[in-house]
Amino acid sequence: MLSDSLLEQLTETPLFAVALTLAAYLVGMTIFRQLKQPTWLPAVLIAALLLAVFLLVSGLHYTTYQQGAAWLSVLLGPATVALGMPLYQQFPRIRELWRPLVVCLPISASLAAVYAVGIAWLMGLPDLVLASLAAKSVTAPIAIGVTQQLGGSIPLLMGGLLITGVVAIAFVSLAARWMKISDERLIGFALGLNGHAIGTVRAFEISPTAGAFASLGMSLTGLFTALLLPLVWHLLG
Amino acid sequence: MTALGGFLWLVSFWLIGEVIIYLTAMPVSSGVLGMLLLSITLAIRGGVPDTLAAAAQPLIALLAMLIMPGVVGVFFVAGELGSQWIAIIVSLILGTLLSVLTTLWLMRLLMRGQDVK
Repeated sequence: MLSDSLLEQLTETPLFAVALTLAAYLVGMTIFRQLKQPTWLPAVLIAALLLAVFLLVSGLHYTTYQQGAAWLSVLLGPATVALGMPLYQQFPRIRELWRPLVVCLPISASLAAVYAVGIAWLMGLPDLVLASLAAKSVTAPIAIGVTQQLGGSIPLLMGGLLITGVVAIAFVSLAARWMKISDERLIGFALGLNGHAIGTVRAFEISPTAGAFASLGMSLTGLFTALLLPLVWHLLG
Repeated sequence: MTALGGFLWLVSFWLIGEVIIYLTAMPVSSGVLGMLLLSITLAIRGGVPDTLAAAAQPLIALLAMLIMPGVVGVFFVAGELGSQWIAIIVSLILGTLLSVLTTLWLMRLLMRGQDVK
């Protein structure tokens, strides 16, 4: 739609990509609120869809957009560090639950990988796909490193992360209702453990407590998986 | 201006994470390492400085926007999977359903007697 020379002019600085990201996010948030915050369609997904459609229509290449948007995504590092603040503020409540958390984490974090890889293996998917899905519940920056060690495909992993994050939000809210669980600590922990950053964002929409337990679940799952998964993977061949 | 000092805290902890990863070759991301180091530092210090809160709160609120550029890329790789995509999606959805149920069930079991609401 946009002429090549205009696109070239606009993408000379990262500002076009930055503006597109901000605009898509704000519009996505507005639509999300208009739809009364559906758990099955998070604001990130609405915004990403809007942006993908814009890229297709305008003829702007994803890689060009991504290079510009990297000026924003670099903030993901300090933003992840920032999660240390709610984590600290909830220390007393986390300490109350340290025993169940310590037992549950290794089991649940392992099963998050085992279930998906097991089902994929039963369905006859090749090793490359299995290696790309194993880190599906781990936060993106760690998952990328783990997947490289396993020899998986990064774009496929990113797709797996998105689907996992979105369905984890929906399943946690459905399952909590079905199991009559309303404890925000438990719901937050399950969101972060299974749904990484996407689940953690959702948990902060519920409450700061849920958000802190999600940050805890996300960071511990990331650490545990990063340390053990490559080792186990190579032992099993 | 208060947020600026807090932002320097956050970036510094991220950089400390980078240095530790460089020295120890740990397969972890510096963001997660920085997060854990920050929470431990705050616990030792006992309290959150105002400057840090001023920077951390808006950044946490923007987390969803910061992961968005990566999410957009997903729509541009879907075509390369061919006929495998149904099996991939089934294993992701079913696997996540099972692991969510296990986490909730296990945590509730382990938290028994600890006033689960």
